Amino acid sequence: MTQPATLASDYSNEVAQEPIEHRFNPYTGIAGEDFAVLAGDTRNTSGYNINSRYDPRVFDVGDNLLLTANGFAADSAQLISVFKNQLEWYHFDHNKALSPQSAARFIQHLLYGKRFFPYYVYTILAGLDEEGKGAIYSFDPVGSYEREQCRAAGAASSLIMPFLDNQVNFKNQMDPASHGTEKRPLRYLSLEEVIQLVRDAFTSVTERHIQVGDGLEILIVTKDGVKTEYYPLKKD
Amino acid sequence: MSIADIGKRFTYKTQFEQELEEASSEFQRLQPSLNSLAPSIAVPPISQPTDFLRAHTDYDSNSDCKIRMAHGTTTLAFRFQGGIIVAVDSRASAGNWIASQTVKKVIEINPMLLGTMAGTACDCQYWETWLGTQCRLHELRNKERISVCAASKILSNLVYSYKGMGLGMGTMICGYTPKEGPTIYYVDSDGTRLKGDLFCVGSGQTFAYGVLDTNYKWELSVDDALYLGKRAILAAAHRDAYSGGSINLFHVTEQGWVFHGNHDVGALFWEIKEKEKSFNNVEA
Amino acid sequence: MVGKDCVAIACDLRLGNQSLGVANNFEKVFQLGHVFLGLTGLASDVLTVHENFRMKANLYKMREEREIEPESFANLVSSTLYERRFGPWFVGPIVAGINSKTGKPFICSFDFIGCPDFAKDFAVSGTASDQLYGMCESLYEPNLEPEDLFETISQALLNAADRDTLSGWGAAVYVITKDKVIKRYLKSRQD
Repeated sequence: MTQPATLASDYSNEVAQEPIEHRFNPYTGIAGEDFAVLAGDTRNTSGYNINSRYDPRVFDVGDNLLLTANGFAADSAQLISVFKNQLEWYHFDHNKALSPQSAARFIQHLLYGKRFFPYYVYTILAGLDEEGKGAIYSFDPVGSYEREQCRAAGAASSLIMPFLDNQVNFKNQMDPASHGTEKRPLRYLSLEEVIQLVRDAFTSVTERHIQVGDGLEILIVTKDGVKTEYYPLKKD
Repeated sequence: MSIADIGKRFTYKTQFEQELEEASSEFQRLQPSLNSLAPSIAVPPISQPTDFLRAHTDYDSNSDCKIRMAHGTTTLAFRFQGGIIVAVDSRASAGNWIASQTVKKVIEINPMLLGTMAGTACDCQYWETWLGTQCRLHELRNKERISVCAASKILSNLVYSYKGMGLGMGTMICGYTPKEGPTIYYVDSDGTRLKGDLFCVGSGQTFAYGVLDTNYKWELSVDDALYLGKRAILAAAHRDAYSGGSINLFHVTEQGWVFHGNHDVGALFWEIKEKEKSFNNVEA
Repeated sequence: MVGKDCVAIACDLRLGNQSLGVANNFEKVFQLGHVFLGLTGLASDVLTVHENFRMKANLYKMREEREIEPESFANLVSSTLYERRFGPWFVGPIVAGINSKTGKPFICSFDFIGCPDFAKDFAVSGTASDQLYGMCESLYEPNLEPEDLFETISQALLNAADRDTLSGWGAAVYVITKDKVIKRYLKSRQD
């Protein structure tokens, strides 16, 4: 909301108001056997304008958790700062690290707490579960969530998601040895394969979506901590 | 929860101060209260909060709305001599986009109770897990497991208190208690609460009813009943664009519920077509 | 989709009324001489527009005593659709074919009032166009042999259709080389 009103009726025409700044960049999370990656481009746009060419929006929030909230920039900033703050409180109270599944349930409560005035954000959380396996949790704007192997959210999610289905979950792929009678067996991808996939997906999407480009930042979480990699994308 | 509590959520008389207060309260330490466990849910500071919600989230009334919530489903549950069968699909769609093919639409409220999920995904997920906490509190307070009747009424009362605010859920609460036997309650966000033998809920419900009504008998064996549940969802997954993905099957007995697998529609369809010589509208 | 001396064109087979699937044998690719026309959109318009172009292609053939070439056909599509600028046909056409004189592959897509897009690599249309753009852009590479082109276009179509509620229910793929047309049906998810 831009400014406080004095009367309810002052706001009645606000129903059709658009959020001012959209960040609708695609974000991609992929879980591997002992790692998880969360990647996003670094362009910040509103309408046809580019506000920034390097505005990384995937955060290492501590406790080996990666978080991105993608959509309306102010809501996204608020959600992440509330999460970080509550994580501190959690440490004071319990003196232990927050597990991804607890973090996911907490984010559900944060999002659902604004069920009737939603945070306009699509959230992805990445981390390692108690067995050390990569975990990706994806959320809708009002808090329904699911653990998945891979997920794309944001502007070009409709372009990336079928590609990930095909290349990560081997959808519609058959085992060549069986002459098209057996499905290709599922396996965990290696970190190199995953990074190559993410880069492929983003270079492709940069060609076809105006809000995507400039740079790709990939955050990788393993048991040894979080690593960041940066690859340039086309700047047009 | 009283009507006054709900009324309070709409008041913002202290305006700016209260907004400030609310903003800073999000950074204070959370102190969960056993009595509610339900948060105070924020509403937009305008005279008609529901209009705001509709304009921004309802795909039917505003086709280019930005916040899209997952919808579309086929779920079913029926009672028979061996207990209850619960079968659901796993697709979540937002408009024509398939948001997910792997949604868990059966929510395990506790080892004895199942809830199904149709309508707005977050409402079902959130309030049915909330119902789980309420059921546990009932057990602790009364040293007795909650009846299906009471559990469904808790949920029904809760959604009724939010009536008109845009909650959208159609759910079946299924369970088995010694005094009730196998019981199914249908609860939806309009406030309807019905006890019955057989329900199908969601966009593909008519297709599922078609299969279920022709083949359903009380005397069905457990295997036949499981197959029928699966077959009815398959029919709906086939014809209804907003249903599909995979089928989750559950059987509720006096010992609690038993999971009977996740069946991918992609493969299951051809398997059943081959076996039954059915679905002759599709060429192999 | 364009390959090395070959083109491929593919469509799903679903005909639906909103969420209800009505038919699973509704082909959206039509052969007119050696030109292939793909039509997505309102089913009644798809059929009518197809008949319309069949007539025009036949009239062309009678007058010119040769089959129409893909390039000329694309211009015919463009002008025919623009004739209905203010009461348009609700179709998204794609033209594909190999020029019988030069042997060059040609593809082209249009919006519903006839603005052509002469693509060099691939063209998409329909309800799953976003998904198709993502798939094609990442799977496609230039100068594919016919068999590889078939695999690429099939994977692109199947995976895109699996993320769209209104697409799927089977698929048909044409791979067109200078002297041969291969048509295959794909077995896909039925939900």
